[in-house]
Amino acid sequence: MIELKQVSQAYGTQDILKNVSLKIKEKRITALVGANGAGKTTLLNVAANLIPAKSGQVLLDGRDICQMETIEIARKIAILKQTQHLSMRITVQELVAFGRYPHSKGRLKSADETKIREAIAYMDLENIKEKFIDELSGGQRQRAYIAMILAQDTRYVFLDEPLNNLDIKYSVEMMTILQKLVQELDKTVIIVLHDINFAAAFADEIVAMKGGEIIREGPAESIIDGETLKDVFDHEFHIIRVGERKVCVYFQPQPDREIKRSKDCFI
Amino acid sequence: MVNKKQVTKKFVFLAVLILLSAGLYIYARVFAKAFDAGIALTYPVAVRILGRSASSLLGMAVSAALIAVVSLAFQTITENRVLTPSMLGFDSVFLATQSLLVYFAANIGFMARLFANPYCNFFVTTGIMLAISMLMYGLMLRKDKNHIVFLLLFGLILSSIVQSFTNYIEVLLDPQQFQQLKAVTTVSVTNMNERVIVLAAPSMVLLTFLFVRQSREFDVMLLGENHAKSLGVPYSRRVNSTLLLIAFGMAVTTALIGPLTFLGLLAVNIARELFKTYRHSILFFGSILMSVLFLVLGQGIVELLRYAAPVTVLIDLAGGAYMIILIMKEHRL
Ligand SMILES: Nc1ncnc2c1ncn2[C@@H]1O[C@H](COP(=O)(O)OP(=O)(O)OP(=O)(O)O)[C@@H](O)[C@H]1O
Ligand SMILES: [Mg+2]
Repeated sequence: MIELKQVSQAYGTQDILKNVSLKIKEKRITALVGANGAGKTTLLNVAANLIPAKSGQVLLDGRDICQMETIEIARKIAILKQTQHLSMRITVQELVAFGRYPHSKGRLKSADETKIREAIAYMDLENIKEKFIDELSGGQRQRAYIAMILAQDTRYVFLDEPLNNLDIKYSVEMMTILQKLVQELDKTVIIVLHDINFAAAFADEIVAMKGGEIIREGPAESIIDGETLKDVFDHEFHIIRVGERKVCVYFQPQPDREIKRSKDCFI
Repeated sequence: MVNKKQVTKKFVFLAVLILLSAGLYIYARVFAKAFDAGIALTYPVAVRILGRSASSLLGMAVSAALIAVVSLAFQTITENRVLTPSMLGFDSVFLATQSLLVYFAANIGFMARLFANPYCNFFVTTGIMLAISMLMYGLMLRKDKNHIVFLLLFGLILSSIVQSFTNYIEVLLDPQQFQQLKAVTTVSVTNMNERVIVLAAPSMVLLTFLFVRQSREFDVMLLGENHAKSLGVPYSRRVNSTLLLIAFGMAVTTALIGPLTFLGLLAVNIARELFKTYRHSILFFGSILMSVLFLVLGQGIVELLRYAAPVTVLIDLAGGAYMIILIMKEHRL
């Protein structure tokens, strides 16, 4: 179980997280949404103990995460950061193998090899597994990193904008994989998403942040609502129904131009 | 994946080259020296020169190995491939510590004994170096570690400050103290502080052992701070402990053989090229072999050709050029 208790974080005098308390629901996909700079990344980092909280506590299975060994945390929480930068030249397979480090300390056993193979297959990387990371396209690289996270095989998976660089097909596939992880392998996924429709379609829970605070949280269904979303993003949303699903439209076709164009058509 | 057989082959190849270079070096020393000095190469003379050469060889090997492991570890924790601790002024800190010691030795009784006894001196110097470099590099490296130009600038400024400081202290010394100071600080490949070997050799073995044991952790650290942390490496703690060991290694090699500015850079990067791997368990040994080979072979050739300058001049020349190439390549200038 992961629980944040009154967590605050600040850079200099700027408060980034203000007394955030959150209980992460087990065996669910929780989507973290909010505008740029709302503090989503910071929240994930604090929850995974990558940066210490200024005040407050993060409890992992009832224990204060600051008191735990880094490697112990790494066996329970895997985190994919928003930006990847790699200064060494390694292949996809070698990168994925690093995901086993918390378990194997670098000495791969056959069980580790199996996990690595599975992760590579899961992310559809088999035909590029010998390629060097710096020779991949942005989306392929993103998938390689996600495979590393999968190989780490932790109960909690934190993903900071994992759909970056993924095309539509892989984005949907990625989310389906996450659903499978939750349903079949009992994992708990926390994912930062910018596309609210992906959150609406795939997440069980949505946590909305604004200015370093959690302003809404609850089942996805309850958050996808014009008023609520306007609050969170300061932007107009139209909710329309497509079959069972709610879909958000967040761009307004400009009426003037629309009219002009239709006039043009007539001429 | 790395081919174990090929790696072993390369290790053996390098080792053989080192042995050949050592042969060359000894040959150059024994025959050339005797010939130049105009003494007949009788048995006792040969044995004496041989003994001297052997201890020089040992000293060179120890320093070169130390420089190699320390440089590789340093490049990993600073996430760059261009800088080594010698370039950032670790050795000038050594000089400053020595001059301070001499200065205080003159004024405080028991300090004189500290300075005169090579072992005490060694421990005190190492201790002070540890403290100073931890302080400086801890502060600097935390902040802006990927900024190579910034770090270089920092090293440059640190070296000049420390050097002016050393000069200032030297002015305060009386001639006899000055002589004492020069005796410990003007060491070089041809003028080793051989009494330190007894301490340096075990230190080298210990340091190499400690570093190699952490190879797998260093591998993960290559992924960058964030990934390393999320994979369970206690990153800050590891960086600090590594810096400590690096400062220790630098103190030892500087005391033994003086500054070897570019040797580490050459050895580590050429080992990387040769072994084509990121694995520290291989690279540590590869760099050690490379480093020893460069130093011994270079010095052998220099002795054979009877140049007056030590091989470090050549290494610095080649290393400096190589560093410029590296910087241009990495930053696409
Ligand atoms: N290292 C840092 N130093 C100073 N301020 C920082 C640092 N990292 C983040 N911040 C500030 O903290 C605030 C929250 O940043 P955070 O990265 O958590 O936002 P986010 O919600 O993840 O945004 P995005 O959607 O753009 O990724 C921002 O205002 C940012 O300027
Ligand atoms: Mg972010």
